Amino acid sequence: MATIDLDDVHLTFTVHQQKRVSLKEYIVRGLFRRSSAMAVHALAGLNLTVRDGDRLGIIGHNGAGKSTLLKLIAGIYPPTGGERTIQGSICSLFDISLGFEPEASGWDNITYRAYLQGESPASLKGKIKAIAEFTELGDFLNLPVRHYSAGMLMRLAFSIATAIEPEILLVDEVLAVGDLAFQKKAQARMKELMSSARIMVLVAHDLGTILNMCNRVIWMEHGVARMDGPAEQVVNAYITSVTGQPPIAAAA
Amino acid sequence: MGWKEPPRLVNLPPRDAGHGTALPRLGSWMIQHLTAIWKFRHFLYALVRLDLRLRYRRSILGVGWSLLNPIAMTVVFAIVFSSLLGGGDIPRYVPHLLIGMAVWGFLRECAVSGCKALIASECYIRQSPLPYSIYPLRVVFGQAIHSAIALVVAIGVTIVYKPDTSALAFLYIVPGLILGFITAWAAATIFAFINVYFQDTSHLLEVGSQIVFFMSPIIYYSQNLTDKGMQWLLDINPVQLFLELIRAPIVTGQPPSGELLLIGVGFTALMAGLAAGTTAWLQKRVIFHL
Repeated sequence: MATIDLDDVHLTFTVHQQKRVSLKEYIVRGLFRRSSAMAVHALAGLNLTVRDGDRLGIIGHNGAGKSTLLKLIAGIYPPTGGERTIQGSICSLFDISLGFEPEASGWDNITYRAYLQGESPASLKGKIKAIAEFTELGDFLNLPVRHYSAGMLMRLAFSIATAIEPEILLVDEVLAVGDLAFQKKAQARMKELMSSARIMVLVAHDLGTILNMCNRVIWMEHGVARMDGPAEQVVNAYITSVTGQPPIAAAA
Repeated sequence: MGWKEPPRLVNLPPRDAGHGTALPRLGSWMIQHLTAIWKFRHFLYALVRLDLRLRYRRSILGVGWSLLNPIAMTVVFAIVFSSLLGGGDIPRYVPHLLIGMAVWGFLRECAVSGCKALIASECYIRQSPLPYSIYPLRVVFGQAIHSAIALVVAIGVTIVYKPDTSALAFLYIVPGLILGFITAWAAATIFAFINVYFQDTSHLLEVGSQIVFFMSPIIYYSQNLTDKGMQWLLDINPVQLFLELIRAPIVTGQPPSGELLLIGVGFTALMAGLAAGTTAWLQKRVIFHL
């Protein structure tokens, strides 16, 4: 069984004008005045319970805390208050084209990334061929990935990230992966993953995708869930609030 | 100009409980942390191997380069300094210098390159919730293997000069090697965290290491300092501690004294505690600074 439990979760971080200062600067300036740091309350007391079978969509304006919430569930952002309890293996599909070792070959990068996702040499052995095949990169896999184009990197990243069978699948926006042929393949793989995962959490701006994929939606606003409920109901309320009139689909 | 409170939009909630400063709590947290690192050992091992492969591939001579460098250094140093600082006694001076350089090189490189570990691993940090200290450990592991080669060469040269070196001496250095490794990891972790906040840390470390190098009895003997009444300079120098734990047993054939071992264990524990404290304190904030 896979579960996500967020209990009164807060996430506050301080944004500095300048990200990194030198120690010299800090000592000289910091002694006299503090830098103009600003605290951002990205999540403000969020409660969320997700259980097996939930296909959760997250909608809301830019900066409402959608992606932050996803990264918090993934364990990348720590909550600064409240409790986060997750059970089940997580696969997160965001920022996947980051984190390659540029000097290493495609093959090697498959192993690094797989180990990062918690595979062992034994468990990877049976999968590495399928991963390589899915990328369709062929002999390019022997080259260092610094020679890869952006599309090739995305192919590689996507193939590795989706090679495990996660219990919890976290997806940020719709992934535009590679050329048209690969996109079709990728979408099929996504559908497969989404149906096999016990829990799926999807952040997207495209409400059509959300309605298609999700059975439950939360509407984020200023770091809290403004509304949480069945997909259609929440999406309709959201559209009404944004456009000022009820959506046509609901009126029909 | 007076003190100004930074503008605060919200009240900062207390940091997550569980990671307090109480020592037993820190201890159990350290064990959890190490278990998590063990879980990702394959990842660590693969990256260390990559680092070494890249390091040795860049030079035509491969691994030989890492042997050649200390040897060339020593030849120069032996010629120039053995008469100047070593009293002309080459069989005594060369092993002293070579082993000293191997130990020093390890500690220095771990601090200087280790401090970039978190900045350089940002992409992994943004992707996976791995324990932060795994990234400095990657650097320290690679460095340890590199330095081990230098140490083996140094020991080889020592045996050439002093064929009667007791095999037991190599057993005596084991505690020093283990403590040195842990200390280097701890130092790299601490500096890596500081470097995220202060970008000139690596520069300061390089400057600082120059000073420490000349303060430490690497190219000269401890005696040179004690004769001048500067024993205190050795007492406060952690590098001297590891020189005594690793170099002295090989050169003298004597095991390190119980007192020295105790100091070594104490210092290592202090560093490990500091590193764990730093990690526990900053691990929940550092990602917002990367």
